[in-house]
Amino acid sequence: MRRMLSQYADIFQSAVESLRAHLLRSTLTSIGVMIGVAFVSLMGWALRSLDAAWERTLSTLGSDMLYVDKWDWSGQGNWRTMMNRKNITLDQAEEIARRLRVAEMTYFSADAWGQTITTADRRASGIVIEGTMARFGMLPSTQLAEGRFFSELEERTAAAVAVIGEGVRTTLFGNRSPVGQTIRIKGRPFVIIGVMPKRGTLFSDFLDRTVYIPLPAFFGIYGRYSRSITVAAKARSPEELDVLRDELTGVVRAVRKLPPQAANDFAINEAEVFRQQVANIRIVIWAVGIGLTALSFLVGVIGITNVMFVAVIERTKEIGIRRAVGARQSTILLQFLLEATMLCVAGALVGVIVSGAIVLVVTAVARDSADFLLPVLPPEIVVVAVAVSIAVGILAGFIPALRAARLDPVEALRYEA
Amino acid sequence: MSTPPLIVLEGITKHYRMGSEIVEALRGVDLTIRRGEYVAIMGPSGSGKSTLMNIIGCLDTPTSGRYMLEGTDVSSLGDAALAAIRNRKIGFVFQTFNLLPRATALKNVELPLIYAGAPPQERRQRAIAALESVGLGDRLRHKPPELSGGQRQRVAIARALVTGPSIILADEPTGNLDSKTGMEIMALFHRIWQEGNTIVLVTHEEDIARHAHRIIRIRDGRVESDMPNPTPIVGAPLLV
Ligand SMILES: Nc1ncnc2c1ncn2[C@@H]1O[C@H](COP(=O)(O)OP(=O)(O)OP(=O)(O)O)[C@@H](O)[C@H]1O
Ligand SMILES: [Mg+2]
Repeated sequence: MRRMLSQYADIFQSAVESLRAHLLRSTLTSIGVMIGVAFVSLMGWALRSLDAAWERTLSTLGSDMLYVDKWDWSGQGNWRTMMNRKNITLDQAEEIARRLRVAEMTYFSADAWGQTITTADRRASGIVIEGTMARFGMLPSTQLAEGRFFSELEERTAAAVAVIGEGVRTTLFGNRSPVGQTIRIKGRPFVIIGVMPKRGTLFSDFLDRTVYIPLPAFFGIYGRYSRSITVAAKARSPEELDVLRDELTGVVRAVRKLPPQAANDFAINEAEVFRQQVANIRIVIWAVGIGLTALSFLVGVIGITNVMFVAVIERTKEIGIRRAVGARQSTILLQFLLEATMLCVAGALVGVIVSGAIVLVVTAVARDSADFLLPVLPPEIVVVAVAVSIAVGILAGFIPALRAARLDPVEALRYEA
Repeated sequence: MSTPPLIVLEGITKHYRMGSEIVEALRGVDLTIRRGEYVAIMGPSGSGKSTLMNIIGCLDTPTSGRYMLEGTDVSSLGDAALAAIRNRKIGFVFQTFNLLPRATALKNVELPLIYAGAPPQERRQRAIAALESVGLGDRLRHKPPELSGGQRQRVAIARALVTGPSIILADEPTGNLDSKTGMEIMALFHRIWQEGNTIVLVTHEEDIARHAHRIIRIRDGRVESDMPNPTPIVGAPLLV
């Protein structure tokens, strides 16, 4: 065992020396692997970011929630068709809620998009004003970063209170606490009583630009009939979601008085609808990432194999000398394999550093527009990248190393460069 | 019961295929070398001296014939066993020194010990001792390009000696040296022989061969004559 160790230490040392002796050549050769590893790492990072965004979407929307809406949230439906659907009215919403049997609870909300709100000295545009109910605030998934949600009493009395999203807070108040401050919606003052934590994701970045006010107060500003109501229904458990969906479909069709053969003039939205979107994005990342990665590794393998062949020829005499003083074929094989592998691992480490830097820069630059991106490379991606590069090194070095091992020692000793 | 001879060659042949032609480098060599002998192998260029040497050193295998080294039939051994024999029982000295050019004298001499699996500490001590014994105790950190021809050959001799081999095989060890340096090297071989080592020396110079106690002449791949040298000359004392 010790005997093996001392040999390996020497093999390692001689590999380092020979790579150092041809530093420029070694560097150039490992660029392919470097780029390959960078692609692998960035791809892994993008996929992990996507997964994290998906997780957050799932937990924000709730895996046990269904949302009846005029609009299909997945973006798949025909826009014009949905546009022409009749609004879901408050009366219909109430009727739907009354008829549902399997839902644990329901609440209604209505949205006004593209609104502008102001404080004494600042304004924020592109804001979503959502009128909703106190029950929304009582959902486990509705956590507040600061302050509180409005109460049933405040809801019923159409109190001029508001809970704002994280993005709204940063736009209007910077780092100051907004609780107790007043914002104006269409000129009407609302007192901020709570702030939501960051909720937006890849699929729902508007959530952070939303201001929640009591539904009756919303009607007070925008009128009772101008907006279509969204009915949110919570299943008693995620397993009952299918049952709830069936019941909901029947109830909404009945309330909307649809003839049996007519298509639904509403959508039942849920977190799941984003799963397909996630899958589509995944495929794109995979296709692009795998393609580029394979290409760079191919270039890397060819380059390293080539350079190792050159190295074997250059060092024919050395191989002969080593064989003459007692090196086995397997020792020579190992020496050249290790050299190729070290080329790859060195390239991989640089690749990891480069992609780590890219991640830092991208997340810094795109903090607002793409904040679902993870701020650092996931460590297991780094491990995978290095493992892959070791495999690439063995692959690229094997044939040259075999040639080195199989050299006839007599011929090798006679070789003159 | 006497110990077997160090080297017994029986009917050794070696053929090389050169395209459609077959070159018969050795055509049936029978030879016995005993422990403690000092043998010179002579012969014209192309007569098969180096080929014979490489076979004795287990660097090459014969096409046919039997080779017993210390009573073991070497012909049947695999790569790992042959490597171990080269490592422990054989010490090569070449005409062109064959040192690793980028490694220090010390590292060059350590190399066989690395393959022998000696621990680093011991490796270093033994390599230093070997270099000191050839008068290079003050050149440990020098690399071959920084050494003279004679010094390089002495590093090579230290490397050959360092594992305490049964036999030193030297193929034209003075071929690349001027005659004065050559004589120094021969004096060194004489001392090594005196210390109990077996030496087989290939040369085509009579002056060099006369240092040995037995002279074997090869011609066209066969032993032409094999005679003791009753009056070996003793090389000039080593000038360090
Ligand atoms: N690898 C080889 N392929 C073909 N022929 C070879 C090979 N090695 C040696 N020979 C031939 O075998 C014969 C003996 O060669 P060897 O090197 O043993 O001669 P030598 O006695 O050492 O000569 P020199 O004194 O020139 O070193 C020569 O004719 C040579 O051409
Ligand atoms: Mg020769």
